[in-house]
Amino acid sequence: MMLSALILIPLLGAVIIGLVPLKGKSPRNIAIVTAISVLAISLILGSQFDLQQPGLQFAENIPWIEWIGLNYHLGVDGLSFPLVLLNSLLTLIAIFSTSTTIARPRLYYAMLLLLSSGAAGAFLAQDLLLFFLFYELEIVPLYFLIAIWGGAKRGYAAMKFLLYTALSGILVLASFLGLVWLTEASSFDYLSLRSHTLPLNAQLLLLAPLLVGIFIKIPIFPFHTWLPDAHVEASTPISVLLAGVLLKLGTYALLRFGVGLFFDGWVYLAPWLAILASVSALYGASCAIAQKDMKKVVAYSSIAHMAYILLAATATTRLSMTAAVFQMVSHGLISAFLFLLVGMVYKKTGSRDVDVLRGLLNPEKGLPVTGGLMILGVMASSGLPGMVGFISEFLVFRGSFPIFPIPTLLCLVGTGLTAVYFLLVINKVFFGRLTEGLTQIPPVKWKEHAPAFVLLLLIIAFGIKPDWVTHWSELQAITLLTNG
Amino acid sequence: MVGISVKRSKSLLIEQYIAKLERGEALLDDSSQNLVEVVGILKSYGVVLDAYSINLCYIANTQFLKLFPLFKYFNGQINPNKVAKFVWHDRLNYEYAEYCMKAMFWHGGGGLDTYLDTPEFAAETERLVKAYFKYNPLMLALHKAFKDFLPEQMRQMAYYSALGQFWRVMSDIFLNLSDSYDRGEIKSIPDVVKFILDGLVADATRPITYTVEVRGQEFDIIPKAAGLTFLADTAVPYVEAIFFRGTPFTGTVSYNAQAYEIPYDPGMFNYGALYADPLPIGGAGIPPTLLMQDMRHFLPDYLRQLYQHQSIRGTGDIRVQICESFQKSMFCVTTAAVKGLAPYPLDTQNSEQQAANRKYLKGWLNRILESQLVKVNSQIQTELKPV
Amino acid sequence: MTDFLLENSWVIPIYSLVGAVITLPWSLGIIRKTGPRPAAYINILMTLVAFVHGTIIFNLIWAKPARQFVFHWLQVADLDLVLSFELSPVSFGALELVTGISLLVQIYALGYMEKDWSLARFFALMGFFETALAGLALSDSLLLSYCLLEALTLSTYLLVGFWYAQPLVVTAARDAFLTKRVGDIALLMGIVALSSYGEGLNFSQLETWVEGHQLNPTVSALLGLALIAGPIGKCAQFPLNLWLDEAMEGPNPAGIMRNSIVVSAGAYVLIKLEPATTLSPISADALIIVGAVTAIGTSLMAIAQIDIKRALSHSTSAYLGLVFIAVGLRQVDIAFLLLFSHAIAKALLFMSAGSVILTTNNQNVSEMGGLWSRMPATSLSFLVGAAGLISFAPLGMFWTYQRWFNGAWDVDWWLLGIVMFVNLLSAVNLTRLFRVIFLGEPQVKTRRAPEAPWQMSVPMVSLMVVTLIATFAPIHWSFWLSPNIPLSLEQPTLVHQYAIPLLIASGALGCVIGSTIGVRRAWSRSSNFTFRFFQDLLAYDFYVEQLYKVTVIAAVSNLAKLTSWIDRYVVDGAVNLVSIATIFSSNALKYNTSGQYQFYIVTIVLGVGLLLWTMLNGQWSMVTNYWSSVM
Repeated sequence: MMLSALILIPLLGAVIIGLVPLKGKSPRNIAIVTAISVLAISLILGSQFDLQQPGLQFAENIPWIEWIGLNYHLGVDGLSFPLVLLNSLLTLIAIFSTSTTIARPRLYYAMLLLLSSGAAGAFLAQDLLLFFLFYELEIVPLYFLIAIWGGAKRGYAAMKFLLYTALSGILVLASFLGLVWLTEASSFDYLSLRSHTLPLNAQLLLLAPLLVGIFIKIPIFPFHTWLPDAHVEASTPISVLLAGVLLKLGTYALLRFGVGLFFDGWVYLAPWLAILASVSALYGASCAIAQKDMKKVVAYSSIAHMAYILLAATATTRLSMTAAVFQMVSHGLISAFLFLLVGMVYKKTGSRDVDVLRGLLNPEKGLPVTGGLMILGVMASSGLPGMVGFISEFLVFRGSFPIFPIPTLLCLVGTGLTAVYFLLVINKVFFGRLTEGLTQIPPVKWKEHAPAFVLLLLIIAFGIKPDWVTHWSELQAITLLTNG
Repeated sequence: MVGISVKRSKSLLIEQYIAKLERGEALLDDSSQNLVEVVGILKSYGVVLDAYSINLCYIANTQFLKLFPLFKYFNGQINPNKVAKFVWHDRLNYEYAEYCMKAMFWHGGGGLDTYLDTPEFAAETERLVKAYFKYNPLMLALHKAFKDFLPEQMRQMAYYSALGQFWRVMSDIFLNLSDSYDRGEIKSIPDVVKFILDGLVADATRPITYTVEVRGQEFDIIPKAAGLTFLADTAVPYVEAIFFRGTPFTGTVSYNAQAYEIPYDPGMFNYGALYADPLPIGGAGIPPTLLMQDMRHFLPDYLRQLYQHQSIRGTGDIRVQICESFQKSMFCVTTAAVKGLAPYPLDTQNSEQQAANRKYLKGWLNRILESQLVKVNSQIQTELKPV
Repeated sequence: MTDFLLENSWVIPIYSLVGAVITLPWSLGIIRKTGPRPAAYINILMTLVAFVHGTIIFNLIWAKPARQFVFHWLQVADLDLVLSFELSPVSFGALELVTGISLLVQIYALGYMEKDWSLARFFALMGFFETALAGLALSDSLLLSYCLLEALTLSTYLLVGFWYAQPLVVTAARDAFLTKRVGDIALLMGIVALSSYGEGLNFSQLETWVEGHQLNPTVSALLGLALIAGPIGKCAQFPLNLWLDEAMEGPNPAGIMRNSIVVSAGAYVLIKLEPATTLSPISADALIIVGAVTAIGTSLMAIAQIDIKRALSHSTSAYLGLVFIAVGLRQVDIAFLLLFSHAIAKALLFMSAGSVILTTNNQNVSEMGGLWSRMPATSLSFLVGAAGLISFAPLGMFWTYQRWFNGAWDVDWWLLGIVMFVNLLSAVNLTRLFRVIFLGEPQVKTRRAPEAPWQMSVPMVSLMVVTLIATFAPIHWSFWLSPNIPLSLEQPTLVHQYAIPLLIASGALGCVIGSTIGVRRAWSRSSNFTFRFFQDLLAYDFYVEQLYKVTVIAAVSNLAKLTSWIDRYVVDGAVNLVSIATIFSSNALKYNTSGQYQFYIVTIVLGVGLLLWTMLNGQWSMVTNYWSSVM
C-alpha cells in the first residue's frame, strides 16, 4: 500500500485543493503538507528497502481491466527508487520555492501535485500500459503549468511541449502494443514480457519507435527543441520539476524498457546510439555557449548532460548501468539547483539576459549569496570533484570507455565545454561593477535560499559519499542486463 | 564634433558652478535631505575622527621606531577585555586612518613634506635613533647599512602626528556642527559650509609640531620653529591627497603595468574621496569600506531612519548609503576649503577681484566637476517622509 | 600520543579546510557589525596546527620506509576506487613546505590585505587552497590527486577573481580556470583510460602496471600525452602558460602561493606520475620539448616585462620548464630539487615584490628606483631570493645544478645549453629588476617608501633564513625517488667537467649584462624600431594570446554561433513547419486559459479520457482479434 500512497496522496491533495474552496495560504499549506508526507513515505520506503534483493519490492498487483490485459501492478526496485525519492524531494522544493502570491493558487498547487502523482506512478508502474497512462497523465498538468503561469510566449512553448510529448507517448504506446502483439503475451505486465525474447528484427522494429519516443522526452538531439522553449517560458518551480524529474521519465524508460525489453536490439544499436549521445552532448554544449538567456544556457546544458545517461546505457555493463542511474540523480539535483538560482536572479532583477546583468556579486546591493551558490552549482555541473557531478560523470565515462572509447572521449570534451559556457555566464553576470539599473534589487532572505541550500547539501554529500546513491541500483543493474 | 561639444558643455557647467559659488551657495545642492545626510554623517564622522586622531597621536608619540608595534591600536590600555574585543575585531578600523596617513605621506605636498627633507630633520632623527637604540648595536648596525630606513620611519611618524593633529581640529568642528544643528542653528547646506569654514579659519594658523621623548630626553622632530601650520601644511595637502588623488583601489583598478591604467604622475590620480564610486563599497579591495563600517556605529537616529526608508534593503546596504552621504558632506568640506583659500571673498563686487576669483575657481572646478559631484546633484531626491 | 598523531596524519590537510568553513559567518555576511579578522586569525591558527602536526610526523617517519593509508572510497560493480595517502619523508617534506609557506603567506596577508574588508573570504579561499595543496603532497592516488588538482583550479579561479569588480580580473579569472581546465580534462581522459586498462589508480600500482602493460604504441603515446596535459596546464607550460601572467591580477599573497607552491604541485603530480608519463617515448619526448620551449620562450618574455609581478611569473614558467625536462629524462630527483629550490626562492621574491607594490602603489618597475636604503627587509629579500635562483651565488639553485651535472646523471650538451640559457636570462632579468627597483634615484612614486609593516617583514625575514638553510637540501639530498639508479660514471665526460664553470660563467655574464643594459624608464620607449619590435614581441608574450583569439577562441565561438543558428532555424524550423497545422488548436486552447478552474479539471479528465479512447480505439480490433485467437 505504501507505493499506492505515493500516487494517491498527492492525487488526494490535488483533489482537495482543487475542489474545496480554500482561501489565502491554505492551498499552499496543504500542498506542502502533502509533499512532506509523500517525502516521508518515500524515506520510510527507503529505510525498509532491502539492498540485497535485486528484484521488485513492495509490489502491489491488482487486476484492473482484465480484458485489455491492464493490471494495477506497482513495484519499486533499485532503478526506480532513487528517482521516486528525487521526485518526492523536488516536488516539495518546487512547492516551497513557489511565490506565495501566485495567481490562482488552488489550480496551481493542484496541478503541481497531480504532476508529482503522475511522475511517481510512472516510476512505480510495472505494467506497460499503466506506465503509459501515468506517462500521459503527467503531460496534462505540465501543459497547464506552463501555459498559465509561464512567461510571455508561454502559449507557444506549452503547445510545442504538448505536441512533442504527445507524439512521444504515441510512439511509446505503439511500441508497447507491438510488443504485446508480437510476443503474443496475455498482458502488459513488465516482468512477464521480459521473459519473452523476440528475434532481433522484431526487436529492432519495436525498439525504433520506442527510442524516438523516449529521445523526445529526454531529449536527445535532434528531438530536443521543445525543451529550451519550455524551460524559458516555465516558471522556476516548474523548470525545477521539468529538469529534475520529468526528463528522467525518458531516461528511466530507456533503461527499463529500451534495455530491459529489447536487449539484443539495444546491443545491436548501441554503437550508433553512443555516437548519437556524444553528438547530443557536444551539440547541447555548443548551443549553450551562444545563448544570452541564463535559463537557456542551463536548458541546453541539461540536454548535454542528459546525453551522458544515454552513453552510459549504451555500454550495458554493470558499472555503466549503475552510473546511468547515478547520473540521473546527479543531474536532477544539479539542474534543479541551477534553475532555482537562475530563478532567484530573475525574480529579483527581472532579467536573465547575460548582456544586461552585471556585477551581482556586490555584497551590499547585489545578490552575493546567490552568486556564491551559483558558482558552486556551475562547478558541480562542470564536474568538479567533491560534488556529485564529478563522480557520476566519472562513473559514466569509466563505464562506457572500455566499450565505446571515442564517444566517451567526445563526451568528456563536452564536460570541458560545460565550464566554458557556465563561466562565461558567471563572469558576465556576477563579476564586474554592478550595473546602474540594478541598484535597487530587493534583498534575498535566507528562507528564500533554503531549497537551494538543501540541494547543495545533497550535491556535496553525494559527491563525498557516492555510495549513498550507487548502492540502491548496483544489484538492479545486473538484473537489467540479464536478458529475460 | 563630440569633443568640442563636450568641452563647451563643461565650460558651461563651470560657469554655472562659479555663479553658484558667487551667490554664496555650496557645490552641493541645497535640499532638506542633503542637509540631514550631511550633518548626520559628519556627526558620526566626527566621532570616528576623534578616535582616529587620538590613536594616530598615540602611535606617533609612543610607538615610533618600534619594530613590532603589536598593541599600537590599544592607546596604551592593554587589558584582557580589550584584547578579546580586538581579536574579535569589535573595534574601529584604525587601519583606515593609517591608510589616509600613508596616502598623504606618499603624495606629499605642503610645508611638512618639504621639512622632512631638510638637514635639520635629518640631524634630529639621527640624534633620536642614536639615543633610542643606544643599547641595541644590532639596530645601529642596520641603521649604518640602510641609512634611510629609520629616518623614513620617522618621516612616516611625523605624518602620523600631523594627520592626528589635523583630524583633532576637524573632529571638533564636525561634532560642534552637529550640536549646533541639534540646537536648530543650521538650516541649510550653505550654513554647514559656513560653519566649517569658520572652524577652519579659526584654527588656520595653529602650529603643527611633533616631539618625542626617549628616556626623559626630548626630540623635536617637527619643531615649532619649522613654522608648520594647520591650514597650509596639513589641510591643503590632505584635501589634495585624500579628496582628489587618493590611491587606486585594487578592487576596481588594475595595477598591471602593461595595462597602463594608472597614470605615471600621481598628480593625475583621481581616485580620491570625491571621485570614488560608492557602489562597490563593501566589496573586496575597496579600502573606504573600513571607514563606512566605522561610521555605521555612530549614526544619529534621524539618519539611520532615513536610510531605513530610502532603500529597498533598509539598512542592508547601509555602507553604500553612508558613502553616498559621506561624499556629499565632503563636497561641503571642499566648498569650505575652496572658499577659505580663495584670494578674495567670493561675494566681492570688485571686478578685478572677481576676475582673480574666477581664475582661481576655474582651476578647482576643472577637477571637481570630473568627480561624482554632477552625478550627486543630478540625483532625484526622494522626498523626506515625516518620521 | 605520537601513535595517535601518526595514525591520524591524514587529517593534516583537513585542518585548513575546517578553518575555511569557520570563516563562513563573515564571508557570507552573517556577521556584519564586527569585522572579519577573527576569520583570518582562525585560519592562521589552523595552518599553524597543520604545520606543527606535520613537523611531528616528519620527525617520526624520517628515514623510515614509506607507508600508505588506504581508503576505499567507492566500490561499485567491478570498480574499486581507492584513495590513498603516503607517509614518507618526501611527502611530508612537501607537506611541510606547503604548510610552512602557507603560514608565512597568511601572516604576510594580514599586512598586505589589512585594508580589505573581504578578508574572511580571502582567508577562506587560502584555507581551501592549502587543503588542496597539502592533500596533493600526501596523496598517493592519481584519482585523489586529480580531484585535488581540480580543487586547485577552482580555488585559483576564486582567488584570481577575488577582486571581482575589477574589469581585468573578470577575464583573468575566467582564463585561468579555462586554461587549467583544458589540461585537467585531458588528464581526466587519461585517468578514465588508465582506470579502464590498468589495475588501480595508485601511483605504486601504476608503476607495476607500466612495466607489464600490453598497450599498442599509439594508445600508450596518447595516454602519456593526456596524463602530462594536466601538469602542463598547472605548471603554466607552453601552450597553456598564459594564465599565470593574467593571474597576476589577483592579490599578491595568493600570487606568492601560486608561483611557488601551486605550480610545484602540478609538477609534483607529474613526478609521481613519471612511470606512466614516460610509458611511451613520445610522451617523454613531449615533456622535454614542452619544457625546453617554455624554458626558452618564457625566459625571453620575462626580460621584456615592465610589471614587477609578471617579470617574476614568466620566470616561474621557465624554471618549471627545466623541471619538465628533468622528468622527461627520468631524472626525478633533480626535478624535485629544482622544484624545492625554486619554490622557496620564488616565494621570497614575490614577497619582496608585494612589499614594493604596497608601499609604492605601483607595479611598473620603470617607475621605481632607490628603495634600497629605506626598505632593508624588502631589498634583502629580493637579493637573497635572486641569489637563490641563479647559479652564481652558492645557494639552492647552484647546488641543484651542481647535482645535475656532477657526473651522476646522464646529461648532454643541449641540456647544459638550455640550463645555461635559462640561468643567463634569469640572471639578466633579476639583476635588471634589482637595479631598477632598488638602485638609482627614487622616482616620484618611490620618493616616500617606508618599510612594510611587521606582518609582512617578519615572513620575509623568516623566508630569507629558510632560503639560506634550504641550500643544504641539494647538498645532502639522497636519491629517494629515481626509478633508475643514477650513473656512476668512471670517467666524467666533457659536459660534466665543463658544466659547473660554464654555469657560473653564464650566471656572472647575466649579472653583468643585467647591470649594464639600458633599462626602460617610465613611459618612455626606444626610438629604434627593431628594438621596439622585439621588445613588444616579448612583452606581449610573442602575441600568443592574440593567436589563441583568432584560432581556438574564434573557432569555439563561431561553432557555437553556428550550432545555435542551426538549432534555431534548421532543427526547430523544421519542427515548426510541421506544427503550423496545429496553430489553430493552439489558439483554441489559449482562449480557454481565462476560464474557471473547474473547467481545467474537466479538460484534464476529458483529455486523459480522450487519449485513452484514441489509443484503445485504434487497437480495438487488434485486441479483440488477439483475445479471440487465444480463446
